[in-house]
This record gives sequence, structure tokens and C-alpha cells, in this order.
Amino acid sequence: MQSLSGDAYRSAVRGWLGENLPAHLRADRASYAAPRLDQLVAWEQALHRAGFAGIAWSRQYGGHGRTLREHLIASQEIGAVAMPESVNSIGKELAGPIIQAIGSEDQKRRFLPAILQMAEIWCQGFSEPEAGSDLAGLRTRAARDGDAWRINGQKIWTSGAARSHRCLLLARTGKLEDRHRGLALFAVPLGSAGVRVNTIKSMDGRESFCEVFFENVEVDEADALGAPDEGWAAAIKVLAIERATNRMYRAWRFENELRHLISACKTDPALEDLLQDGHYAARLGAVFVDIEVLKGHVETTVEDLMGDLPIGARGSLIKLHWSEAHQRFATLAWEILSQASLPLRPAVKVAQRRFNELYLHSRAETIYAGTTEIQLGIIADRVLGLPRGK
Amino acid sequence: MSIAEDGLSPSDFAATAERAVAACASLDVAARGKRLAGDGLLGVLAAPEVGGLGLPLAFAVPVVAAAEAELLAFPLMESMLVARHAAVETVVNGSAVATIAWNGKVDATSRGSAIELYGVVGAVPAAEAADLLLIRIDQDRVALVDMRTTGVALEGAPGIDLTVPSHVARLDGVTIEPEALLATGSWQALQADACLLRAAAIMGGAERCLALASEHAVQRRQFGHALCYNQAIRHALARHKLVLEGIRHSLARCLALGPNASDIQRKAVFLAAAAGGVGIAEGALQVFGAMGFTWGMPLHRHIRRIRSLQAQGSEQGLAALGRQLIAEVPAALHG
Repeated sequence: MQSLSGDAYRSAVRGWLGENLPAHLRADRASYAAPRLDQLVAWEQALHRAGFAGIAWSRQYGGHGRTLREHLIASQEIGAVAMPESVNSIGKELAGPIIQAIGSEDQKRRFLPAILQMAEIWCQGFSEPEAGSDLAGLRTRAARDGDAWRINGQKIWTSGAARSHRCLLLARTGKLEDRHRGLALFAVPLGSAGVRVNTIKSMDGRESFCEVFFENVEVDEADALGAPDEGWAAAIKVLAIERATNRMYRAWRFENELRHLISACKTDPALEDLLQDGHYAARLGAVFVDIEVLKGHVETTVEDLMGDLPIGARGSLIKLHWSEAHQRFATLAWEILSQASLPLRPAVKVAQRRFNELYLHSRAETIYAGTTEIQLGIIADRVLGLPRGK
Repeated sequence: MSIAEDGLSPSDFAATAERAVAACASLDVAARGKRLAGDGLLGVLAAPEVGGLGLPLAFAVPVVAAAEAELLAFPLMESMLVARHAAVETVVNGSAVATIAWNGKVDATSRGSAIELYGVVGAVPAAEAADLLLIRIDQDRVALVDMRTTGVALEGAPGIDLTVPSHVARLDGVTIEPEALLATGSWQALQADACLLRAAAIMGGAERCLALASEHAVQRRQFGHALCYNQAIRHALARHKLVLEGIRHSLARCLALGPNASDIQRKAVFLAAAAGGVGIAEGALQVFGAMGFTWGMPLHRHIRRIRSLQAQGSEQGLAALGRQLIAEVPAALHG
């Protein structure tokens, strides 16, 4: 498939998804059932074998060596179908790129193929009870102990830790007063002695959130990512790009959701009438505009990266726009579907199941991965360059 | 002309446009046309056969954006579009000023080989200074009318734009020859281009408003420190920047899609600009406080201008876009 043109590659992705994505994993089908972890792992393994995970990663580390533009094409097609979110997005979209940038050769060979083959699922251990958005205040300590490190502390809001094998852990090697300096990254095996994971039930009924305790946990030097005191600074540079390019499929998934909502409403005469109401038609139009803007952000960012142009803090623009627009849509979908006529049409039932869950889950979207307020601060500081008070 | 061979890029036109627009400040409308034409700006989109450069729409974007940033008092977008779609050499070379009636259409009656036009159309920018008027006849027929033709009368419209004021034009038995009719499909093609150029114009004006507000927030001191130290101000400006970049990137994407961009995608770009541009301009005024409400500050001129551009595309409102989308999506196949 390596020599395929953009159009041919798109057709190949679309064709493969059409043939291989089971109906029970598609949230817009009546036969959908919340998938088990083993089903999701099997699906993501199949995606990787087909060439649609690790698309732009180097072949020597299990990737497929394609361009970022091809990654975008695949993301557009992946987004256009209602398939499940990755259970290893932290591994694929955060840990993997950081390891590629600052990891040793040994780490690249150990960690990267395992991520893509779903042999190791990762979680992100950044937030702490006293350091949520303000990572400079984090207190989990990593101290030298002979050739190894000893980790002590607590992480919280660690999504998926209970199902993960490794944690991308940010810990302090220096003094608290050093703030962003003296921070280091580790690839901590969650099966290590002294690691304890508790789940926290979230408002959408899921038990993905976790708190993770590290009590005198020994971590090999081989699992420290980058040089001490420098790992975080190096990782930040990677994150600036990753924020702009991860989950590129979101704009197209968003469109899939919008079209699903409308198509379901059209099976119910009461909802079909409602859609024609100027108020709701205008709000649906606004959602479409939001999606087109999001696509613009994503596609121009990819083009700029392909042209070696700086993208600065564009990731904050994308994250902020997507999270707020998606939240507005989720609210609108709930409002419309709650006015369905009885008995519920089968397609409306399917849509209610999907969008009720989306409404609840979307409340987190303006909080995780940097709250709205944090993103606004980044835009004010780094995009507009406004001076800050002391 | 091969753009690649000539090494031209749209950004090359931004600096030229800024210089030309600045030079227009002390001129009257007709002289502005000649000045802009002298720099090749009116013919950016027009065919080489009429003296134009025949460039894609992306090359006109920085030109109209620069014009709006400086509040150029000239029907620039209209002239560029008439030059492109009606292929009028006198517009390209600046000896005639062209405008377009954006709202409404007139009735046409055949009189022998000629055609008589009757009706009232609105949103005609700079009509008083224009020599030529492009006018919609019915669903998709367009005619180019000489403003001096008997039966053309202008009426003042209570618009708010001070920069390029709009008028209502009344046509009462205006006779045109069949050659004055443009090819079928011209109105749709014209609107497709106008959606994006209008978005570019709004972006230019909004960007200037945000720059003014940001500068003010840095310079102005209140309660012993710069205004921009306040989180409420920082976040408001950050939101305006978010919206501005959304306009810029959605426009860039649509231009990159070229003829593959759908009608609904173009309209979405315009609507993103219309709603977002108004918010940025009005928000800038708020940052300035009472000073922003004064006649001497240019913000109100931008607000008036952006609102007028928004109104020109009023047929493409969000509800219309929503209904178009709803019509495109089939009912669910999978229960």
C-alpha cells in the first residue's frame, strides 16, 4: 500500500473500515453494545495490522512510515465512522511521540512496538491532588537509589490506570521551589511493588478515572525517559506539536455525530418538524460551521507542519475550539432527542443511547487535557504575547 | 500564467495591497480605482484577455483583507468580481467603477431584441460613484447595467456603513441589449466567490480591531497596572484570537479545496466570519470602554462595515445553512 496516492490511500482506508469494523462496535447501530476491553484490544490490534495505527511512526519501531498527510487522510476516514475511542490513546498519542523524541534506542525498541501491538496500554500520571492544571506545583518525588529511582507520591484523575500496564509519570527530581525545572519523566510499570490503583466513578457512570499511589516504588534507570531535569522540557516541545495533531479524527467524528443526529430525527415526524424550526435549524447550522472551522484548524496545521512551518501554540486553539463546540453540540443533541415522540423509533433509541452518554461525557471535555481557562491563558501568553502581571 | 513558474504566492499581494490602499486615502473613488488598477489589484481574478492576472481566488484574499483593515472607501470586492465574471476591461484598468446589487432581483421583459428591467434591488455598495451595476434578474440570470442608462434611480438606504455606503437602486424600464446578460450560472458562481471574499474582508477588519484592542490593553494602565494583567481582559482577547484564527484557517482550507469546496462549505466559512467578526469588533470596543464609543476611534467604522458585509450575505443565515444540511442528510438506515 506504500505507493498509493492520496485518493487511493483514502479508498483503501475507507474500504478496510467498511469491511472490518463490526456493527457491534459502531455506536450508530442498533446492534451496538458497550465493548469489553478484550474486544477493544482486538480491534485496535487489527487496526494496527491493517496499517491504521502508528501510521506516521518509523517502521523500525512497528509503525508504518507514512507521512503526516496520510495520517490525516486515515484520520478523516476513521473519524467518519462511529468506532470506539482508543483505549491506548495515551500510549499512541502522548507517550509514543515523547519516547520517539527523547527515548533511548533501547526504550524505543521496548516500548513503541508494544504500544502499537496493544501489548502495553499506557496511562498519564501528571495531575496530583495539589497540582492539577499547575504542574509546576507537583510533589510526587523521584529520588536516586543506587542505579535505580524511588518514586513516592500520588497521582489523580489518571484515566484508564486500572486497565493500564505502564504510566507515563511526571515526578520531581529537584526541589519544589524549582517549579518546572527539576521534573523528569518515567515509564513506570504499574505492576511494580508499591503501586496501588483506585478507581473513581465519574458523573457519566464510568470508572475510568483513577487515583494512583506510589509508595517507595523502584523504577529502573532504563525506564527513565530523557535526562533528569531535562525530560520535561524536551517533552513540552513534543507536546506542542502533539496537542495540535493528536486525535485529528475528532472533526470528522464530530461530523459523523451531527449527521447521525439528523438522520435519526428524520425517522420521527415530531423531530423532523422540530429540525425545521428556525431556532433548531440555526443551531444545527452553527454546529456545522463549528465543524468546518475545526477541520480548517486541523488541515492547515498539518500543511504547515509538512512545510516545516512553526505552529506555535495552535494546539490550544484546536483543543479549545473543539471542546466548547462539541459540548454545545452534545447539549443540542440532548435537547432535541428529549422531545422525541412515543413510542420511540428504533433509530431514535440508538441516537438517545449515544447522545445521552455524549452529553454527560462532554462535560469533561473542557476540563481534561488543559481546562478552557488554561487554554485561554496559553493563547493570551503565547499567541497574543500579552505581558503578564508579576 | 503559471503561478508556480512565476513564483507568485497570495502573500505577495498583501504588501502591494497595503501600499496601494494607503495611497488611496486622499483620493476620490474614481481616482482610487485607477490607483488600485495601476497596481494590478482590480484584475487579480480577471482573465488575461481583459488585462487581468487570471489568478485563483486565494490571491484576492490578502487584497480585500488589507483593504478592510484600512477601511478602504471603494467597492473593491465588487470590482474584482465584476472584472472576473463579466470580463470588463474598463473595470480592470480602473476607468470604470463597478458594483453589485447583493439583495433582491429585478424582472425582465423582452422588447424585440432588447430586454427591459423593472424592480428594486438593495445593498448596492458605493452606488453613487459606480459606473456599472451587476444585477440579478431571476434565479440565475445576471445583467451588467450602465448606471447612466435611463430608468436607473438611486435611493438612499438607512444603512450604517460609513465607509462604503449602500444604496437601493430602482430600475424602471431600463433597456439592455442581450449582450449585457452574463452566462447562465453566473449568479451562483459570483456568490460562491463572494462568500469567501466577504469572509476575507471581515477577517481583515476584525484582525485590525483585535490588534487595536490588544495594543490598548497593553498600553492602558488602570488600578496601577496594565489592563491586560486582568484575567477577564486576557481571556476576552484570547477568545477573540481563537475566533479570528478559526476564520483564517477555515477560509484557507476552503481555498485549498478550490472547486472541490461545496456550496455549504463556502457558506459555512462566510457564516463563521460573519458571526465571529462581529464579536471581535464589538468586543474590541468593550475593551476600550468609553473611549471605544467615541466617533474619533475607528472601531465603530469597522463594526458598521462588518455588519454591512454580514447583511450582504443575509440570505445565507445559520437557519438556511441548517436547513440545507438537514435536506442533505438521509433518514437513518440502521435502526
